[in-house]
Amino acid sequence: MNRELKRLAGLGLLSFVLVPASSPLLPAQNRSQDNNKKEEPAPLKLKVGDPAPDFTLLAFDGKELKKVSLQDYRGKKNVALAFFVFAFTGG
Amino acid sequence: MKAFQQNLTKLEGSDTQVLGVSMDSPFSNFAFAQQNGISFPVLGDWGGPVTRRYGLTQKFDIHGVPMETARRATFLIDQSGKIINEQVDDEAVDPTKTVEACERHKLKN
Repeated sequence: MNRELKRLAGLGLLSFVLVPASSPLLPAQNRSQDNNKKEEPAPLKLKVGDPAPDFTLLAFDGKELKKVSLQDYRGKKNVALAFFVFAFTGG
Repeated sequence: MKAFQQNLTKLEGSDTQVLGVSMDSPFSNFAFAQQNGISFPVLGDWGGPVTRRYGLTQKFDIHGVPMETARRATFLIDQSGKIINEQVDDEAVDPTKTVEACERHKLKN
């Protein structure tokens, strides 16, 4: 009897743990709702006043690939560096 | 991106070069730029090394498939290479604050 009870209690506990874990959509939805409530975006690693990390990337102008470096603009121009999610997404 | 194009004259008038960056190939970025009338360079950060260096990658798990994408962000970098303004996520869609920061910076110098 005692053993049976223990077994049942064990199963009960186990199912309690398993239910949320086995339905990944549910916690995901809760998480995104929490994110929507949050007004302030998570802080960035780089802060105002920090040096911007140098980089060299390629851009295609329709004819050829060209190197573009942040360093090219040093002492010449400001750079507005706009990271966006993927090409063909909104914004 | 389109919003940046609409503000390009103001930004360039404040001695600012606009550079777009996405984790696509330079070729898909070019096609995207053409279809949307974008005249500034859109750089291909393929594999995301620069996006990662700027602390903008975020990991997703869609149907158990891991994915890494960029957070939307705009950094305004002055001529000495210092970050003078940053906008992130939804606030980075509208470049008004970046334009204002450019114009303030121009007045200071």
